[in-house]
Amino acid sequence: MKNRLEELRKARGIRQEELADALGVSRQTIGSLENGRYNPSILLAFRLARYFEMSIEDIFIYEEETQ
Amino acid sequence: MKKQVWYTLLAVAGIALTIAGVVWLRAGAENVVPYLCIGVGAGIFGHGTGAWLQYRALKDAPEARRRIEIETNDERNVAMNNRAKAKAYDAMIYIFSALMLVFALMEIDFVAVLLLVAGYLAVCGIYVYYRVRYDREM
Repeated sequence: MKNRLEELRKARGIRQEELADALGVSRQTIGSLENGRYNPSILLAFRLARYFEMSIEDIFIYEEETQ
Repeated sequence: MKKQVWYTLLAVAGIALTIAGVVWLRAGAENVVPYLCIGVGAGIFGHGTGAWLQYRALKDAPEARRRIEIETNDERNVAMNNRAKAKAYDAMIYIFSALMLVFALMEIDFVAVLLLVAGYLAVCGIYVYYRVRYDREM
């Protein structure tokens, strides 16, 4: 699953540490989310969406896996 | 304060148990219990002292405490921990099986093999219990 986290964060001039602090997760989690190595739980996805005042679909791009 | 007292009590109990083990051994005990006292006592002492030191270090450092709390509850860390534990469990099933086979082939005391089998079955039983429980809860 791709996401626009890095783009959105940089557009707002926020550091990974600040975003992590605001969401109550570690900086490494934010880094992994941005790299697409880790998919968040639905709760964290909602918290992120609320933080950026957007919908989850605007942040995370779901792609159907091709066989 | 309550926690500090508890950790101190643990450390003191650990020292007391260790000393009791040493005294018992010196008195000429010929069984395994004093060695157990020393081992368990040292473990309790180490745990109590460690917890006490951590409590003291973090008492006046709310920021560090918050950081540790975040790291502990961080969902990625929790997920990684759970995955690692699941892998270790899978490995343990094979390791236990191999050990039981080796012990049986070595004709080691029947009681020791049976204890190992009981431990293995207990672990499998705990897995089944939680599998069924989570099936009802989730």
